[in-house]
Amino acid sequence: MNDRERTYKVDMLTRVEGEGRFHLRVEGGKVVDAGLSIFEAPRYFEAFLRGRSLHEVPDIVARICGICPVAYQMSSVRALEGALGLDPGEEIRSLRRLLYCAEWIESHALHVFLLHAPDFLGYPSAVEMAADHREVVECGLALKKTGNSLIEILGGRAVHPISVRVGGFTKTPTTEELLRVRPFLSTGLQEALETVRWAATLPMPEFEQDYVFVALDGEAYPLEWGDRVRISGRGTYPVGEFEQIFQEEQVEHSNALQCRLKDGTPYMTGPMARLNLFHEKLHPIAASALEEVRLELPVKNPYRSIVVRAIEIVHAFAEALDLIDRYRRPPEPYVTGEPRDSVGFGATEAPRGLLYHRYGIGGDGLVKDARIVPPTSQNQARIEADLVSIAPQLIELEHDEATLRCEQLIRSYDPCISCATHFLRLDIDRGGGGTSGR
Amino acid sequence: MGWPVSESGKSGSARVLERRDLSGLFSLLLEDGYRVVGPTVRDGAIVHGDIESPQDLPVGWTDNQSPGSYRLVRRTDDRCFGFAAGPQSWKQFLFPPKERLVKTVRRDANVEWVGSPLDETPLALLGVRACDAHAIEIQDRVFLGGPFMDPGYRRRRESCLIVAVNCSQAGALCFCDSMGTGPKATSGFDVCLTELEDAFLIEASGDRGGRILERLPTRDATKADTDAARAALEACKSSMGRAMDARVLPELLLGSLDHPRWDEVANRCLSCANCTLVCPTCFCFTIEEISDFTAAVSSRERRWDSCFNRDHSRIHGAEFRPTTKDRYRQWLTHKLGSWECQFGTSGCVGCGRCIAWCPVGIDLTEEVDAIRRRPDSTTDARGREDAGAARPGASKPVSSSREGTPPVAGAEGATAGDSSTRRRGVEGEQGLRTEESPVFIPAYKPAETVSEENPLLPTPAHVLGRRTETRDVVTLRLEMPAQYEHGPGQFNMLSLPGIGEAPISVSGRDEDAVEHTIRAVGALTKALCGLREGDCLGLRGPYGSGWPLDEGEGRAVTVIAGGIGLAPLREALRLMEGRAGRYEWVRLVYGARSPEDLLFRSELRKWREESPLRVSVTVDRGSPTWTGNIGAVTALLHRKELPRDGLYLMCGPEVMMRVVVRLLERAAVPRENVYLSMERNMKCGTGLCGRCQFGPYFVCKDGPVFRYDRIAFLFGRKGF
Amino acid sequence: MKREIRKTRPRLGVFKLASCDGCQLTLLDCEDELLALAGELEIVHFPEASSNTAPDGPFDLTLVEGSVSTPEHLGEIRYIRERSRFLATIGACATSGGIQALRNFTSADEYGEIVYAWPEYVLTLADSTPVSDHVKVDFELQGCPIDKRQLIELITAYLVGRRPAIPNVSVCTECKGRGTVCVTVARGIPCLGPVTHAGCGALCPTYGRGCYACFGPKENAETASLARLMKSLGLDEREIKREFRLFTGYAEAFRKESVRHE
Repeated sequence: MNDRERTYKVDMLTRVEGEGRFHLRVEGGKVVDAGLSIFEAPRYFEAFLRGRSLHEVPDIVARICGICPVAYQMSSVRALEGALGLDPGEEIRSLRRLLYCAEWIESHALHVFLLHAPDFLGYPSAVEMAADHREVVECGLALKKTGNSLIEILGGRAVHPISVRVGGFTKTPTTEELLRVRPFLSTGLQEALETVRWAATLPMPEFEQDYVFVALDGEAYPLEWGDRVRISGRGTYPVGEFEQIFQEEQVEHSNALQCRLKDGTPYMTGPMARLNLFHEKLHPIAASALEEVRLELPVKNPYRSIVVRAIEIVHAFAEALDLIDRYRRPPEPYVTGEPRDSVGFGATEAPRGLLYHRYGIGGDGLVKDARIVPPTSQNQARIEADLVSIAPQLIELEHDEATLRCEQLIRSYDPCISCATHFLRLDIDRGGGGTSGR
Repeated sequence: MGWPVSESGKSGSARVLERRDLSGLFSLLLEDGYRVVGPTVRDGAIVHGDIESPQDLPVGWTDNQSPGSYRLVRRTDDRCFGFAAGPQSWKQFLFPPKERLVKTVRRDANVEWVGSPLDETPLALLGVRACDAHAIEIQDRVFLGGPFMDPGYRRRRESCLIVAVNCSQAGALCFCDSMGTGPKATSGFDVCLTELEDAFLIEASGDRGGRILERLPTRDATKADTDAARAALEACKSSMGRAMDARVLPELLLGSLDHPRWDEVANRCLSCANCTLVCPTCFCFTIEEISDFTAAVSSRERRWDSCFNRDHSRIHGAEFRPTTKDRYRQWLTHKLGSWECQFGTSGCVGCGRCIAWCPVGIDLTEEVDAIRRRPDSTTDARGREDAGAARPGASKPVSSSREGTPPVAGAEGATAGDSSTRRRGVEGEQGLRTEESPVFIPAYKPAETVSEENPLLPTPAHVLGRRTETRDVVTLRLEMPAQYEHGPGQFNMLSLPGIGEAPISVSGRDEDAVEHTIRAVGALTKALCGLREGDCLGLRGPYGSGWPLDEGEGRAVTVIAGGIGLAPLREALRLMEGRAGRYEWVRLVYGARSPEDLLFRSELRKWREESPLRVSVTVDRGSPTWTGNIGAVTALLHRKELPRDGLYLMCGPEVMMRVVVRLLERAAVPRENVYLSMERNMKCGTGLCGRCQFGPYFVCKDGPVFRYDRIAFLFGRKGF
Repeated sequence: MKREIRKTRPRLGVFKLASCDGCQLTLLDCEDELLALAGELEIVHFPEASSNTAPDGPFDLTLVEGSVSTPEHLGEIRYIRERSRFLATIGACATSGGIQALRNFTSADEYGEIVYAWPEYVLTLADSTPVSDHVKVDFELQGCPIDKRQLIELITAYLVGRRPAIPNVSVCTECKGRGTVCVTVARGIPCLGPVTHAGCGALCPTYGRGCYACFGPKENAETASLARLMKSLGLDEREIKREFRLFTGYAEAFRKESVRHE
């Protein structure tokens, strides 16, 4: 049995965002080939961001991803405000953190309940899962809805919010408007705590790796603000040095660029990285949930990310309640500044991990160039390494079960593939001769 | 301008409420259980919202308005009402942008329709200007004037208390004075305030107003008070920002349908509907179905609509106002012209909102002035009154006389038919001269009866039988609702829960059932054609005007039908067949696309073989077994006798009716002898939603059967 | 009324071409309706939500998100069309090419296009185009993203058999319907509302900014007049061009207008 060649593959990954496939070929007990191939069509955002007004950037980059548009907006305004030398002030920062908490709730709930949980309980989808576990699915949908409602209040709508702008918001909520959603956040917090308890009971495949974790280093638990990046075992670096520390490269089997440390080491960013590096900054309620389920730190089993996400949902609810209770409507919804020839960079923690933006802008207020590194680009190499590492386990399993084990592993990273593929260079030469398929 | 004695029968002199006591008015209204709404500052404008005290009013604010622009500006004093009309009128409270009308519940094979619950909370509108008070009265005529009353509007209106405010300064866009709607509020209120330096002159009207007044701490008004109030109103009158030359507007506008100004304004108009949305009198609405996935439970919701929207004038297979020019012309000719025919007043109260809130600043006073100016004349429109007499072909000068006197020549010599049909002589008939079609301005007639029933509530009716007529036409026999009376040519609104409602002509009846012949062209008609015996649907009606069969007594009656147009005529034919002796003769000329599309074939045969009816049938294209006529209906008509004093009834595709009408004109048949059944976008069937308007007519209540002379100036014209 | 009892539920397929996933997510964001919907439709192929995939269908109702952007998409969309009774495109990418259609405007010779993408093996079409440029589409639901209520209405209308109530009217209608004060008239802020298809509920003006046309042009969009208005509000030609050339910039009415300001 051990000498046979086996290929585990899924030609179209399901219950992940975007289009990707994986394959893993094992011969004589050794991995001969492994790859996470992303074949999502690139959309070339970099090409058309050039020449747009800096004020259009938050709206445009939101469209990189429908699940985490807030993350793109937050990283972009951070970077552009850096370029303009603008500080929007405490109240705007708090509002942004609140908006980001809402997105974490929505995105994590989507992943935990609709995308990942079916793997643990043996269902092809949450709809089938609901036939036997209706309350679980309804709980997930309710949590997601609460997250969405909060985004709607702050941002106008949940997908591609419209009120985020350089300098702040086009309009800020009144205290009354926020208080109206508070009861749902309270209920949500209780349900999130239940979710942690439930996630901790899920059957967990045994698999651990020694990861290099990367997360944003700021004052609070990594979210919307941080000037430094922490790399486990290697120290902390200013966000401005991102492009010196990390290297993006093209691999032939994938439309998305893969990002590694300069020495080629793959790393993990996302909930596990954040928790492992900054658990002492967790909200006390989230910290006690962690203790209650006796989650051992550092978490090194990627399958256990479902528990970590549940803890982050608790954290997001708890922080959101605090932020609402402390809320003071800013006198002006946004600050302005004169554009100047400059470069700005910013990093925030999207639900899936570190999201880095850099923009060069001109004195005319137009974008000269842009660089965006999404979390899923950064996790790709690590996913492939995990697939190689898990190969020995798979031999013991039935082929279908083994394939599923690989899919479940990939899903642990909550990959957001549309994000990862937007940034290739595109030079269109509309010269004579030849057509490309029109 | 004298101060009228209050009608409440209480003390006749006006009284005065000190400024500091204004809050008492608020408390009183709130205590009485009213929801108080009034002007308040929000988002850079003075809007209408819930208010609880004088502090909520725009104290110390005024506005700077110009076409397409509105800015809030601080006053130097603390006046509460020192501003002009803002973006919102009061219609959003009495005629809300969205309103549930009817709910359905399906139980097995039955459907129940129930009217939606009416608003319970009475409204107090505080701060209504004279223009807006008039606008409310104008909307009263629409929604309460009959023949059908809107129950939701009625409930809100009956319980609504109005505190009017006289304006002491006019806005730059105001022209209530020239519209005769202000600045002094003379009717339509319970209490009226005039803001003075430190106090308000306050008067009451009616018992409800009187009871408010007597509970407020007021004192007698002195001469100084009333003088100050009078002076304020005079100042307001003389500082009007705009003026509308409102002379003979219906004749002017309906007679200028080809004026080049319509093209010019269409270059600027965004077709965005803002003017209709801010207008306090615009009332057009649409009705949408709302349901769950199975339509086990569904409801109907009314939503504001606008003649600037495409669906306003769209039916299957035709869009009557596709261009911006069509839509703007419809709006203006309706607002300032047709409205008078329909409701007895102008539709415009001179509030100026459409000028301010049009993003490109189109000013209807300017548009009217431009239209008065004839393109071929350098003299100003003031000389207009005599121009009619000088025009060739005009029989009388332009005047505002209405029906009952001969029609008047249009200002632009409007002719029947659109440009494509104005091909005089092209049809090979030498010496053909199409007369100018005089503009016909129907006189306003209040409704004879006003029904108090909920007009939009269908009655359940079961399908008693169905008959397939052709591949896409089905006749349904429906159980007759109790006390159902109708005349031939009328129609019912048939509905299916969750799918919609459509006007379908009655095509026949017997003792127990009423028949409808339906062609499957859209979702609803397809579903209707799929119904089986025992199925339940909703029925409302009958609506509309019917065929004037009595007019045919002693005359030769020619019935001309094309395609599905035979359906509304079928009953007329059956009735005439039944009393054929009363008519000189009755002939049917009927055409369909092909033999397979002929309706009521067995009946046609019966009529031809067993009755005095003369039946001629033709098809556009034949089939291997067809031995009858081939060609258009008009070709068939050419070969028939067309007596001038005969009665002509027709129904079919409009393009067919246009050709027939020309044929009849050439045969010198007077227009009064010709009746057509028109089809437009009838959504409510009851003269409330405004979508079926055809010039000054509502097809659902003035039609669908029209006497041709009344519509000749519009018929066939693009954009109507 | 006796309703036809459906013996089998209509089969639903959901597909994604080049897009951000936001429109499919809008279906998953119908939290209150999702499970009920799954009872009325058989979700045959929806890779985002379920591992049970069946890309061959056949489907009664198909929702397609995303624009045609690669050679593979050309084949894929034809394949999907052949297997679908009713095909609805959802979102600006599918209905007008999306934000990525901005690449369609790179100035070029008229004689054909060659795309040199880096890396070379990533094949991309020169233009990102709407699905309707390639196959017949039975309904186009506009929006970036689409509106959840309109999506529910589209699906409900399909199930019940009525014409979907998706009014093709201006965003101004929604502003005035909810009492929002016009940002152009009251603040001089340029806004595309008068030429944009309603659907979002007039979000941007309600939040104090001008509409940027997520839902694409309404019918009879009078863009030339609006462009002149924008000029009078102080925008220069480049700014006006950018206004009309954003998320739905490739839709015909907007495309023609932006080209006039190049």
